[in-house]
Amino acid sequence: MEFLGYERADGSVGIRSKILIIAVDECCEGIARRIAREDKDSVVVTNWYTCMLGGNEETFYQMIALGQNPNAAGAIVISMGCGSILPSQIADPIRKTGKPVFELTCQHEGGTLKTIAKGIEYIKEIRKEIDLLKPVKVPLSRLVVGVKCGGSDTSSGIASNPAVGLAVDKLIDAGASCIGGELFELIGCEHKLLERAVSEEVKERILGLIRNEKLRWGVEGAQVETMSIGNCTGGLTTIEEKSLGALHKMGTKPIQGVLQINRYGVEKIKARGFYLSETTMLCGGAGVNFASLGAQMILWTSGAAGYECPLLPVIRVSGNTQLYNDDMDIDARGILLGTAGIADVAEAICQKVLSVAGGEKTALEGIGFSTMTLYQKDVRVENLLKLPCYK
Amino acid sequence: MNRAIRMHADDSVAVLLCDAKKGDVLHVFDINNAFLFDIAVNENILYGNKVALHDIPEHSEIVKYGQSIGISTREIAKGCLVHVQNVKSLSVDIPDSIRREIIRQMHITD
Repeated sequence: MEFLGYERADGSVGIRSKILIIAVDECCEGIARRIAREDKDSVVVTNWYTCMLGGNEETFYQMIALGQNPNAAGAIVISMGCGSILPSQIADPIRKTGKPVFELTCQHEGGTLKTIAKGIEYIKEIRKEIDLLKPVKVPLSRLVVGVKCGGSDTSSGIASNPAVGLAVDKLIDAGASCIGGELFELIGCEHKLLERAVSEEVKERILGLIRNEKLRWGVEGAQVETMSIGNCTGGLTTIEEKSLGALHKMGTKPIQGVLQINRYGVEKIKARGFYLSETTMLCGGAGVNFASLGAQMILWTSGAAGYECPLLPVIRVSGNTQLYNDDMDIDARGILLGTAGIADVAEAICQKVLSVAGGEKTALEGIGFSTMTLYQKDVRVENLLKLPCYK
Repeated sequence: MNRAIRMHADDSVAVLLCDAKKGDVLHVFDINNAFLFDIAVNENILYGNKVALHDIPEHSEIVKYGQSIGISTREIAKGCLVHVQNVKSLSVDIPDSIRREIIRQMHITD
Protein backbone atom coordinates (compact mmCIF):
# COMPACT_ATOMS: atom_id res chain seq x y z
CA MET A 1 0.00 0.00 0.00
CA GLU A 2 1.17 3.53 -0.81
CA PHE A 3 0.17 7.11 -0.10
CA LEU A 4 1.09 10.55 -1.41
CA GLY A 5 3.30 12.46 1.02
CA TYR A 6 5.89 15.23 1.15
CA GLU A 7 9.43 13.94 1.44
CA ARG A 8 11.63 16.13 3.65
CA ALA A 9 15.39 16.59 3.26
CA ASP A 10 16.06 14.18 6.15
CA GLY A 11 14.09 11.39 4.46
CA SER A 12 11.01 11.67 6.66
CA VAL A 13 7.59 12.01 5.00
CA GLY A 14 5.01 14.62 5.97
CA ILE A 15 1.33 14.18 5.16
CA ARG A 16 0.73 17.91 5.68
CA SER A 17 3.01 20.94 5.31
CA LYS A 18 2.52 23.13 8.37
CA ILE A 19 4.54 26.13 9.54
CA LEU A 20 5.37 25.69 13.20
CA ILE A 21 5.73 28.88 15.22
CA ILE A 22 7.39 28.12 18.52
CA ALA A 23 7.12 30.67 21.34
CA VAL A 24 9.91 29.47 23.61
CA ASP A 25 8.56 31.57 26.45
CA GLU A 26 5.02 32.60 27.35
CA CYS A 27 5.75 36.33 26.96
CA CYS A 28 6.09 36.10 23.18
CA GLU A 29 2.90 34.13 22.56
CA GLY A 30 1.12 37.26 21.27
CA ILE A 31 3.89 37.87 18.77
CA ALA A 32 3.70 34.24 17.64
CA ARG A 33 -0.09 34.43 17.20
CA ARG A 34 0.11 37.69 15.26
CA ILE A 35 2.67 36.21 12.83
CA ALA A 36 0.59 33.02 12.54
CA ARG A 37 -2.38 35.04 11.25
CA GLU A 38 -0.46 35.55 8.00
CA ASP A 39 -0.68 31.91 6.90
CA LYS A 40 -3.55 29.41 7.13
CA ASP A 41 -1.14 26.52 7.67
CA SER A 42 0.62 27.99 10.69
CA VAL A 43 0.53 26.23 14.05
CA VAL A 44 1.52 27.98 17.28
CA VAL A 45 3.06 26.13 20.17
CA THR A 46 3.83 28.07 23.34
CA ASN A 47 5.96 27.05 26.28
CA TRP A 48 3.78 28.29 29.11
CA TYR A 49 5.98 26.83 31.86
CA THR A 50 7.95 30.12 32.13
CA CYS A 51 11.13 30.90 30.21
CA MET A 52 13.45 28.80 32.36
CA LEU A 53 15.18 25.69 31.08
CA GLY A 54 15.95 24.10 34.45
CA GLY A 55 13.05 21.82 35.37
CA ASN A 56 11.42 22.26 31.95
CA GLU A 57 13.70 20.00 29.95
CA GLU A 58 10.84 17.70 28.90
CA THR A 59 9.10 20.69 27.32
CA PHE A 60 12.36 21.87 25.77
CA TYR A 61 12.98 18.53 24.04
CA GLN A 62 9.37 18.35 22.87
CA MET A 63 9.61 21.79 21.24
CA ILE A 64 12.62 20.56 19.24
CA ALA A 65 10.90 17.28 18.37
CA LEU A 66 7.78 19.13 17.16
CA GLY A 67 9.90 21.14 14.73
CA GLN A 68 11.49 17.89 13.53
CA ASN A 69 8.07 16.27 12.96
CA PRO A 70 7.64 15.56 9.24
CA ASN A 71 4.32 17.46 9.13
CA ALA A 72 6.23 20.68 9.92
CA ALA A 73 7.60 22.04 6.63
CA GLY A 74 9.33 24.93 8.35
CA ALA A 75 9.58 26.70 11.68
CA ILE A 76 9.97 30.12 13.29
CA VAL A 77 11.38 30.10 16.82
CA ILE A 78 10.69 33.20 18.91
CA SER A 79 11.88 34.30 22.36
CA MET A 80 11.55 37.50 24.33
CA GLY A 81 15.27 37.46 25.03
CA CYS A 82 15.31 37.68 28.81
CA GLY A 83 14.77 33.97 29.57
CA SER A 84 17.05 30.96 29.75
CA ILE A 85 16.13 29.25 26.49
CA LEU A 86 17.85 30.65 23.39
CA PRO A 87 15.96 30.27 20.08
CA SER A 88 19.10 28.72 18.58
CA GLN A 89 18.96 25.84 21.08
CA ILE A 90 15.60 24.87 19.57
CA ALA A 91 16.24 26.00 15.98
CA ASP A 92 19.64 24.33 15.39
CA PRO A 93 18.51 20.71 15.88
CA ILE A 94 15.39 21.39 13.76
CA ARG A 95 17.56 22.95 11.03
CA LYS A 96 19.54 19.68 10.82
CA THR A 97 16.48 18.09 9.21
CA GLY A 98 17.04 20.44 6.25
CA LYS A 99 13.80 22.44 6.54
CA PRO A 100 13.74 26.26 6.68
CA VAL A 101 14.01 27.53 10.26
CA PHE A 102 14.13 31.18 11.37
CA GLU A 103 14.94 32.68 14.76
CA LEU A 104 13.63 35.85 16.36
CA THR A 105 14.63 37.40 19.69
CA CYS A 106 12.29 40.26 20.47
CA GLN A 107 14.74 42.30 22.52
CA HIS A 108 17.37 42.12 19.74
CA GLU A 109 14.91 42.97 16.97
CA GLY A 110 13.95 46.23 18.64
CA GLY A 111 10.66 45.26 20.20
CA THR A 112 7.37 43.60 19.49
CA LEU A 113 6.31 45.45 16.31
CA LYS A 114 9.66 44.96 14.57
CA THR A 115 9.69 41.28 15.60
CA ILE A 116 6.21 40.79 14.13
CA ALA A 117 7.21 42.54 10.90
CA LYS A 118 10.27 40.34 10.49
CA GLY A 119 8.28 37.23 11.42
CA ILE A 120 5.79 38.01 8.67
CA GLU A 121 8.69 38.19 6.16
CA TYR A 122 9.93 34.82 7.40
CA ILE A 123 6.53 33.14 7.19
CA LYS A 124 6.21 34.32 3.59
CA GLU A 125 9.62 32.84 2.79
CA ILE A 126 8.58 29.49 4.24
CA ARG A 127 5.31 29.67 2.27
CA LYS A 128 7.30 30.09 -0.97
CA GLU A 129 9.23 26.90 -0.20
CA ILE A 130 6.05 25.00 0.69
CA ASP A 131 4.44 26.01 -2.60
CA LEU A 132 7.31 24.37 -4.48
CA LEU A 133 6.77 21.00 -2.77
CA LYS A 134 5.32 18.16 -4.83
CA PRO A 135 3.79 15.09 -3.18
CA VAL A 136 5.39 11.75 -4.04
CA LYS A 137 4.16 8.17 -3.72
CA VAL A 138 5.69 6.47 -0.70
CA PRO A 139 5.08 3.06 0.90
CA LEU A 140 2.88 2.72 3.98
CA SER A 141 6.01 1.84 5.96
CA ARG A 142 6.69 5.59 6.15
CA LEU A 143 3.50 6.21 8.14
CA VAL A 144 3.41 6.40 11.94
CA VAL A 145 -0.04 6.60 13.57
CA GLY A 146 -0.75 7.52 17.19
CA VAL A 147 -3.68 5.69 18.81
CA LYS A 148 -5.64 7.21 21.67
CA CYS A 149 -9.06 7.49 23.23
CA GLY A 150 -10.54 10.68 24.62
CA GLY A 151 -13.97 11.44 25.93
CA SER A 152 -14.39 7.71 26.47
CA ASP A 153 -17.73 6.26 27.43
CA THR A 154 -19.06 2.73 27.50
CA SER A 155 -19.53 2.66 23.72
CA SER A 156 -15.73 3.11 23.32
CA GLY A 157 -14.94 -0.22 24.95
CA ILE A 158 -17.63 -2.03 22.96
CA ALA A 159 -17.43 -0.48 19.49
CA SER A 160 -14.75 2.06 18.59
CA ASN A 161 -11.81 0.63 20.56
CA PRO A 162 -12.18 -2.95 19.26
CA ALA A 163 -12.59 -1.61 15.70
CA VAL A 164 -9.49 0.60 15.99
CA GLY A 165 -7.56 -2.31 17.52
CA LEU A 166 -8.29 -4.47 14.49
CA ALA A 167 -7.42 -1.57 12.17
CA VAL A 168 -4.10 -1.14 14.02
CA ASP A 169 -3.30 -4.83 13.40
CA LYS A 170 -4.15 -4.47 9.70
CA LEU A 171 -2.10 -1.29 9.30
CA ILE A 172 0.93 -2.96 10.91
CA ASP A 173 0.52 -5.99 8.63
CA ALA A 174 0.56 -3.53 5.71
CA GLY A 175 3.85 -2.01 6.94
CA ALA A 176 2.83 1.01 9.00
CA SER A 177 3.80 1.67 12.62
CA CYS A 178 1.40 2.56 15.43
CA ILE A 179 2.07 4.10 18.84
CA GLY A 180 -0.18 3.79 21.88
CA GLY A 181 0.26 5.57 25.18
CA GLU A 182 -1.85 6.46 28.24
CA LEU A 183 0.14 4.10 30.44
CA PHE A 184 -1.91 5.17 33.45
CA GLU A 185 -4.93 3.67 31.77
CA LEU A 186 -3.14 0.36 31.30
CA ILE A 187 -2.89 -0.25 35.05
CA GLY A 188 -4.27 -3.74 35.61
CA CYS A 189 -3.60 -4.76 31.98
CA GLU A 190 0.14 -5.44 32.48
CA HIS A 191 -0.14 -9.23 32.14
CA LYS A 192 -1.73 -8.90 28.71
CA LEU A 193 0.93 -6.42 27.55
CA LEU A 194 3.87 -8.51 28.82
CA GLU A 195 2.75 -11.40 26.61
CA ARG A 196 3.28 -9.11 23.63
CA ALA A 197 6.70 -7.68 24.57
CA VAL A 198 9.47 -8.58 22.11
CA SER A 199 12.23 -8.67 24.78
CA GLU A 200 12.97 -8.70 28.49
CA GLU A 201 14.00 -5.05 28.24
CA VAL A 202 10.60 -4.13 26.82
CA LYS A 203 8.89 -6.11 29.62
CA GLU A 204 10.89 -4.22 32.22
CA ARG A 205 9.89 -0.89 30.68
CA ILE A 206 6.20 -1.83 30.50
CA LEU A 207 6.12 -2.73 34.19
CA GLY A 208 8.36 0.13 35.35
CA LEU A 209 6.75 2.94 33.38
CA ILE A 210 3.18 1.86 34.24
CA ARG A 211 4.24 1.66 37.90
CA ASN A 212 5.63 5.19 37.61
CA GLU A 213 2.24 6.43 36.42
CA LYS A 214 0.45 4.74 39.29
CA LEU A 215 2.78 6.39 41.81
CA ARG A 216 2.72 9.78 40.06
CA TRP A 217 -1.09 10.00 40.03
CA GLY A 218 -1.78 8.21 43.30
CA VAL A 219 -0.01 10.49 45.82
CA GLU A 220 -1.79 10.11 49.17
CA GLY A 221 -3.72 13.23 50.17
CA ALA A 222 -3.43 14.80 46.71
CA GLN A 223 -6.35 13.19 44.97
CA VAL A 224 -6.58 14.01 41.31
CA GLU A 225 -9.16 13.24 38.70
CA THR A 226 -7.95 10.30 36.67
CA MET A 227 -11.47 9.69 35.40
CA SER A 228 -13.23 12.77 34.07
CA ILE A 229 -16.78 13.56 35.10
CA GLY A 230 -17.64 13.13 31.42
CA ASN A 231 -16.20 9.60 31.44
CA CYS A 232 -18.44 8.72 34.40
CA THR A 233 -21.63 10.39 33.21
CA GLY A 234 -20.99 8.44 29.97
CA GLY A 235 -21.33 5.24 31.98
CA LEU A 236 -17.78 4.34 33.02
CA THR A 237 -17.48 3.67 36.74
CA THR A 238 -13.81 2.93 37.53
CA ILE A 239 -10.36 3.33 36.00
CA GLU A 240 -10.21 -0.49 35.68
CA GLU A 241 -13.31 -0.48 33.50
CA LYS A 242 -11.94 2.37 31.39
CA SER A 243 -8.56 0.58 31.07
CA LEU A 244 -9.99 -2.75 29.95
CA GLY A 245 -12.05 -0.98 27.30
CA ALA A 246 -9.09 1.16 26.30
CA LEU A 247 -6.76 -1.82 25.88
CA HIS A 248 -8.80 -3.06 22.90
CA LYS A 249 -7.56 -0.23 20.70
CA MET A 250 -3.92 -1.32 21.09
CA GLY A 251 -4.48 -4.32 18.77
CA THR A 252 -2.66 -7.61 19.28
CA LYS A 253 0.74 -7.19 17.59
CA PRO A 254 4.12 -7.60 19.34
CA ILE A 255 5.20 -4.55 21.36
CA GLN A 256 8.53 -3.37 19.94
CA GLY A 257 9.31 -0.88 22.67
CA VAL A 258 8.03 1.71 25.12
CA LEU A 259 9.11 5.17 23.97
CA GLN A 260 10.02 7.60 26.74
CA ILE A 261 9.34 11.32 26.74
CA ASN A 262 11.23 12.81 29.65
CA ARG A 263 13.81 15.32 30.85
CA TYR A 264 16.54 13.51 28.89
CA GLY A 265 14.83 13.61 25.52
CA VAL A 266 12.17 12.10 23.28
CA GLU A 267 12.74 8.57 21.97
CA LYS A 268 11.84 7.64 18.39
CA ILE A 269 10.75 4.36 16.84
CA LYS A 270 13.50 2.14 15.42
CA ALA A 271 11.94 -0.96 13.82
CA ARG A 272 8.43 -0.88 12.34
CA GLY A 273 5.50 -2.24 14.29
CA PHE A 274 3.54 -1.44 17.42
CA TYR A 275 4.95 0.67 20.25
CA LEU A 276 3.76 1.88 23.59
CA SER A 277 4.92 5.30 24.79
CA GLU A 278 4.74 7.78 27.63
CA THR A 279 2.11 9.75 25.69
CA THR A 280 -0.18 11.18 28.35
CA MET A 281 -3.86 10.32 28.75
CA LEU A 282 -4.55 14.09 28.81
CA CYS A 283 -5.90 14.95 25.36
CA GLY A 284 -4.16 18.16 24.25
CA GLY A 285 -0.83 17.01 25.66
CA ALA A 286 -1.24 13.63 23.99
CA GLY A 287 -1.47 15.17 20.52
CA VAL A 288 1.79 17.03 21.14
CA ASN A 289 3.41 13.88 22.60
CA PHE A 290 2.50 11.88 19.49
CA ALA A 291 3.86 14.65 17.27
CA SER A 292 7.09 14.69 19.30
CA LEU A 293 7.46 10.94 18.78
CA GLY A 294 7.26 11.50 15.02
CA ALA A 295 3.68 10.40 14.29
CA GLN A 296 1.99 12.04 11.27
CA MET A 297 -1.60 11.15 12.21
CA ILE A 298 -3.78 10.14 15.17
CA LEU A 299 -6.58 7.58 15.42
CA TRP A 300 -8.94 8.77 18.14
CA THR A 301 -11.76 6.81 19.68
CA SER A 302 -14.41 8.76 21.50
CA GLY A 303 -17.96 9.08 22.60
CA ALA A 304 -18.43 12.38 20.83
CA ALA A 305 -15.37 14.51 21.65
CA GLY A 306 -14.27 16.63 18.69
CA TYR A 307 -10.57 16.57 19.51
CA GLU A 308 -8.35 17.91 16.71
CA CYS A 309 -4.59 18.50 16.73
CA PRO A 310 -3.48 21.35 14.46
CA LEU A 311 -0.21 19.59 13.48
CA LEU A 312 -1.45 16.00 13.01
CA PRO A 313 -4.75 15.10 11.31
CA VAL A 314 -7.01 13.22 13.75
CA ILE A 315 -9.40 10.51 12.58
CA ARG A 316 -12.21 10.34 15.14
CA VAL A 317 -14.15 7.10 15.62
CA SER A 318 -17.37 6.87 17.63
CA GLY A 319 -19.99 4.21 18.23
CA ASN A 320 -22.14 6.26 20.60
CA THR A 321 -25.67 6.02 19.21
CA GLN A 322 -26.90 8.97 21.30
CA LEU A 323 -24.05 11.46 20.97
CA TYR A 324 -22.63 10.71 17.49
CA ASN A 325 -22.23 13.97 15.56
CA ASP A 326 -20.63 15.69 12.55
CA ASP A 327 -17.23 15.83 14.26
CA MET A 328 -16.73 12.10 13.77
CA ASP A 329 -14.87 10.65 10.78
CA ILE A 330 -15.80 6.99 11.28
CA ASP A 331 -19.21 5.70 12.31
CA ALA A 332 -18.94 2.63 14.55
CA ARG A 333 -22.55 2.73 15.73
CA GLY A 334 -23.51 -0.31 13.68
CA ILE A 335 -21.49 -2.50 16.05
CA LEU A 336 -23.83 -1.53 18.90
CA LEU A 337 -26.96 -1.76 16.79
CA GLY A 338 -26.05 -5.20 15.48
CA THR A 339 -25.93 -3.96 11.87
CA ALA A 340 -22.15 -3.90 11.30
CA GLY A 341 -19.26 -6.09 12.35
CA ILE A 342 -16.03 -4.92 13.96
CA ALA A 343 -14.20 -6.03 10.79
CA ASP A 344 -16.36 -3.76 8.58
CA VAL A 345 -15.58 -0.71 10.70
CA ALA A 346 -11.88 -1.64 10.90
CA GLU A 347 -11.74 -1.77 7.10
CA ALA A 348 -13.39 1.66 6.87
CA ILE A 349 -10.79 3.01 9.32
CA CYS A 350 -7.88 1.65 7.24
CA GLN A 351 -9.30 3.21 4.07
CA LYS A 352 -9.72 6.51 5.88
CA VAL A 353 -6.13 6.39 7.16
CA LEU A 354 -4.90 6.00 3.58
CA SER A 355 -7.09 8.76 2.16
CA VAL A 356 -6.26 11.22 4.97
CA ALA A 357 -2.54 10.40 4.61
CA GLY A 358 -2.97 11.25 0.93
CA GLY A 359 -4.40 14.68 1.71
CA GLU A 360 -8.15 14.21 2.25
CA LYS A 361 -9.31 16.50 5.04
CA THR A 362 -10.80 15.05 8.21
CA ALA A 363 -14.18 16.25 9.50
CA LEU A 364 -12.55 18.96 11.63
CA GLU A 365 -9.29 19.72 9.89
CA GLY A 366 -8.68 23.45 9.77
CA ILE A 367 -11.92 24.12 11.67
CA GLY A 368 -11.85 23.22 15.36
CA PHE A 369 -8.62 22.41 17.15
CA SER A 370 -7.02 21.96 20.53
CA THR A 371 -4.24 24.05 22.05
CA MET A 372 -0.81 22.54 21.42
CA THR A 373 -0.49 21.71 25.13
CA LEU A 374 3.06 21.01 26.23
CA TYR A 375 2.46 18.49 29.01
CA GLN A 376 5.46 17.62 31.14
CA LYS A 377 6.08 15.59 34.27
CA ASP A 378 7.11 17.63 37.32
CA VAL A 379 10.78 16.79 37.93
CA ARG A 380 10.40 17.53 41.65
CA VAL A 381 7.64 14.94 41.99
CA GLU A 382 9.72 12.53 39.90
CA ASN A 383 12.66 12.95 42.27
CA LEU A 384 10.63 12.84 45.48
CA LEU A 385 8.95 9.61 44.38
CA LYS A 386 12.28 8.30 42.98
CA LEU A 387 10.64 7.34 39.69
CA PRO A 388 13.19 5.70 37.38
CA CYS A 389 13.88 6.48 33.72
CA TYR A 390 15.41 3.91 31.37
CA LYS A 391 18.64 4.71 29.56
CA MET B 1 -35.70 -2.08 20.90
CA ASN B 2 -34.62 -2.17 24.53
CA ARG B 3 -31.13 -3.62 24.10
CA ALA B 4 -28.30 -4.31 26.49
CA ILE B 5 -24.97 -5.98 25.80
CA ARG B 6 -23.04 -8.41 28.00
CA MET B 7 -19.36 -8.39 27.04
CA HIS B 8 -18.31 -11.73 28.60
CA ALA B 9 -20.06 -14.84 29.92
CA ASP B 10 -18.65 -14.28 33.43
CA ASP B 11 -19.92 -10.69 33.67
CA SER B 12 -22.14 -9.58 36.55
CA VAL B 13 -23.29 -6.53 34.55
CA ALA B 14 -24.66 -5.66 31.12
CA VAL B 15 -24.42 -2.26 29.37
CA LEU B 16 -27.64 -0.52 28.31
CA LEU B 17 -27.88 0.51 24.67
CA CYS B 18 -31.00 2.61 25.39
CA ASP B 19 -32.45 4.68 28.21
CA ALA B 20 -34.64 2.51 30.46
CA LYS B 21 -37.31 3.37 33.01
CA LYS B 22 -38.07 1.44 36.17
CA GLY B 23 -40.01 -1.68 35.19
CA ASP B 24 -38.80 -1.76 31.56
CA VAL B 25 -37.67 -5.13 30.26
CA LEU B 26 -34.30 -5.24 28.47
CA HIS B 27 -33.21 -7.84 25.93
CA VAL B 28 -29.62 -8.77 26.73
CA PHE B 29 -27.33 -9.78 23.84
CA ASP B 30 -23.74 -11.01 23.70
CA ILE B 31 -21.01 -9.32 21.60
CA ASN B 32 -21.90 -11.47 18.59
CA ASN B 33 -25.44 -10.12 18.75
CA ALA B 34 -26.90 -13.44 20.01
CA PHE B 35 -29.90 -13.04 22.35
CA LEU B 36 -29.17 -14.21 25.90
CA PHE B 37 -32.09 -13.37 28.22
CA ASP B 38 -34.44 -10.61 29.39
CA ILE B 39 -34.01 -8.57 32.54
CA ALA B 40 -36.39 -6.09 34.21
CA VAL B 41 -34.73 -2.88 35.45
CA ASN B 42 -35.40 -1.80 39.02
CA GLU B 43 -34.78 1.93 38.58
CA ASN B 44 -34.31 4.45 35.75
CA ILE B 45 -30.99 3.73 34.02
CA LEU B 46 -29.50 5.83 31.24
CA TYR B 47 -27.86 4.68 28.00
CA GLY B 48 -24.30 3.42 28.41
CA ASN B 49 -24.69 2.54 32.06
CA LYS B 50 -24.56 -0.87 33.66
CA VAL B 51 -27.35 -3.00 35.13
CA ALA B 52 -26.73 -5.77 37.69
CA LEU B 53 -27.56 -9.17 36.17
CA HIS B 54 -27.95 -10.81 39.60
CA ASP B 55 -27.96 -9.74 43.25
CA ILE B 56 -24.47 -8.56 44.19
CA PRO B 57 -23.51 -8.58 47.91
CA GLU B 58 -21.44 -5.80 49.49
CA HIS B 59 -17.63 -6.07 48.98
CA SER B 60 -17.98 -8.22 45.84
CA GLU B 61 -16.02 -7.89 42.64
CA ILE B 62 -17.93 -6.35 39.75
CA VAL B 63 -17.08 -8.31 36.60
CA LYS B 64 -17.10 -6.83 33.06
CA TYR B 65 -15.06 -8.04 30.06
CA GLY B 66 -14.62 -11.15 32.24
CA GLN B 67 -12.44 -9.18 34.65
CA SER B 68 -12.80 -7.23 37.87
CA ILE B 69 -13.58 -3.54 37.32
CA GLY B 70 -13.99 -2.66 41.00
CA ILE B 71 -15.75 -3.66 44.21
CA SER B 72 -19.29 -3.05 45.47
CA THR B 73 -19.52 -0.62 48.39
CA ARG B 74 -23.04 -1.82 49.27
CA GLU B 75 -25.47 -4.53 48.29
CA ILE B 76 -26.74 -4.17 44.69
CA ALA B 77 -30.04 -5.82 43.75
CA LYS B 78 -30.57 -7.49 40.36
CA GLY B 79 -31.88 -4.91 37.86
CA CYS B 80 -30.28 -1.91 39.62
CA LEU B 81 -27.78 0.64 38.28
CA VAL B 82 -24.15 -0.33 38.95
CA HIS B 83 -22.12 2.87 39.11
CA VAL B 84 -20.10 5.26 41.31
CA GLN B 85 -22.77 5.31 44.06
CA ASN B 86 -22.30 1.60 44.79
CA VAL B 87 -18.90 0.66 43.26
CA LYS B 88 -15.34 1.86 43.84
CA SER B 89 -12.03 1.25 42.12
CA LEU B 90 -9.48 -1.04 43.74
CA SER B 91 -6.74 0.85 41.91
CA VAL B 92 -7.08 4.65 42.01
CA ASP B 93 -10.51 5.80 43.16
CA ILE B 94 -12.42 8.94 42.17
CA PRO B 95 -12.17 11.79 44.72
CA ASP B 96 -15.32 12.01 46.83
CA SER B 97 -16.24 15.54 45.70
CA ILE B 98 -16.15 14.35 42.08
CA ARG B 99 -18.22 11.28 42.95
CA ARG B 100 -20.89 13.55 44.48
CA GLU B 101 -20.87 15.76 41.38
CA ILE B 102 -21.36 12.75 39.08
CA ILE B 103 -24.25 11.54 41.23
CA ARG B 104 -25.78 15.04 41.12
CA GLN B 105 -25.38 15.43 37.34
CA MET B 106 -26.82 11.98 36.65
CA HIS B 107 -29.74 12.38 39.12
CA ILE B 108 -28.78 9.09 40.75
CA THR B 109 -30.69 8.21 43.92
CA ASP B 110 -27.89 7.73 46.42
